[in-house]
Amino acid sequence: MDTVALFLTLRLALITTIILLLLAIPLGYWLAFTHSRWKTLVQAVFALPLVLPPTVLGFYLLVFLGPQTALGRSISHILGHPLAFSFAGLVVGSVIYSFPFAVQPLASGFAATDRAMLDAAATLGSGQLDRMLRVILPLSRGSLLTAGVLSFAHTIGEFGVVLMIGGNLPGVTRTLSISLYDQVQDFQYAQANRTAIFLLAISLFALTLLYSQRRRSDFV
Amino acid sequence: MSELTVQHTASESWLTVHIGHHFRRQQDGFHLQLSFEASAARTVIFGPSGSGKSSLLRAIAGLLEPDAGHIQIHGNSVWQRTSGKHSLLWVPAEKRRVGLVLQNPAVFPHLTVARNVAYAMRRMEKSEQKKEVLHLLQLVEAESLVDRWPRELSGGQLQRVAIARTLAAEPRVLLLDEPFAALDGRSRQQLSANLQEWARTHHVPILMVTHNLEEAFSAGDEIVVMHEGHITAQGGPQAVLMRERDRLLESLGVGPC
Repeated sequence: MDTVALFLTLRLALITTIILLLLAIPLGYWLAFTHSRWKTLVQAVFALPLVLPPTVLGFYLLVFLGPQTALGRSISHILGHPLAFSFAGLVVGSVIYSFPFAVQPLASGFAATDRAMLDAAATLGSGQLDRMLRVILPLSRGSLLTAGVLSFAHTIGEFGVVLMIGGNLPGVTRTLSISLYDQVQDFQYAQANRTAIFLLAISLFALTLLYSQRRRSDFV
Repeated sequence: MSELTVQHTASESWLTVHIGHHFRRQQDGFHLQLSFEASAARTVIFGPSGSGKSSLLRAIAGLLEPDAGHIQIHGNSVWQRTSGKHSLLWVPAEKRRVGLVLQNPAVFPHLTVARNVAYAMRRMEKSEQKKEVLHLLQLVEAESLVDRWPRELSGGQLQRVAIARTLAAEPRVLLLDEPFAALDGRSRQQLSANLQEWARTHHVPILMVTHNLEEAFSAGDEIVVMHEGHITAQGGPQAVLMRERDRLLESLGVGPC
């Protein structure tokens, strides 16, 4: 198995998951409790990666974050290189591509918090942020785990966005799923089999972890 | 003379409520329309289920924003709204220092009993906090539960923890919504007496909601009778009993004499 690609994939998945959780917690909170009329539109926009072909997403990211736009030029200026065909570009693409997998479990988990607990916390002098940190987040541990595991597993398995944004540079942007594609193209089926089994095992492990946690929480 | 009397009452009252609220989601709609002032140390709101008692407490605590009216606690306005879309003044629940104990104790399941009670004691030193938690748990006769988890407790035990947790937040007023519903007769009397003693020594007035006639007339210095979102009588237990005799008997299932 391509170990360089393996470690790059794990690094990408870990960084993506951390960034996703940091972004998805406040957005999930907003979606769970807002009465804004923009809620439906925001929900639809952030769910787009679920239905959009990854190549479409990758294409637009290349266009909007490329040197033709002011945003792309300023990112180039800050990083010292364009986002395309770089690890940073992969992170941006992965974060956007996996966003719904982090936001949706969190938003529904937060919204399911027992209203009576939040009311009790408020009358005990707990403000909005305090309630979030001391009541909503601890009571949403299951949703946090779901969001983290799904983001991690989904990032490990992504292919289209990674290929569009990152290309296939060994040690920089070649992830395991691209490595598998290369191995098949080169008729190295034994290696391809090992890579495929590894990806399968990770996905199975992630889902088993998820369902065992849900089963445990059913008894609490 | 009457003007003087009104001024005297207003200066002594710790709670002033004028509320008009229409619950659109309920079947046939439900209208809460009431005005009252509470000046007694223990005021009881008595009425059948569905008369709007709990909604009134939620509005005072800042958990429900009515359509129009105003609320003052200890002379300070905490909410005011004429009829517009937004309130002119809105003090959020976390800043009102109103202790609220509901029928649903809502004890945090992810915290032990001790940490539940200490929830509002953030600025206190750890050793001091521990002492105060034990003291409050003794007050509600639940000191043996200090290290237990909420999932291990009975309904009555959860209710005791919820009361201790509310007192720990040092409220300016106490609102109790059927707080002893899950307790048996003896525990109910003991806990009620302890709670009233705590309120007396801390100068915290109590507004208690009940649909238990006996509890209403034994625990209240003043009784407010509510029916279908309106106040039908207010005054001392004797006076209210005389004035509302027929309606009260009816609520007990006995016809008017």
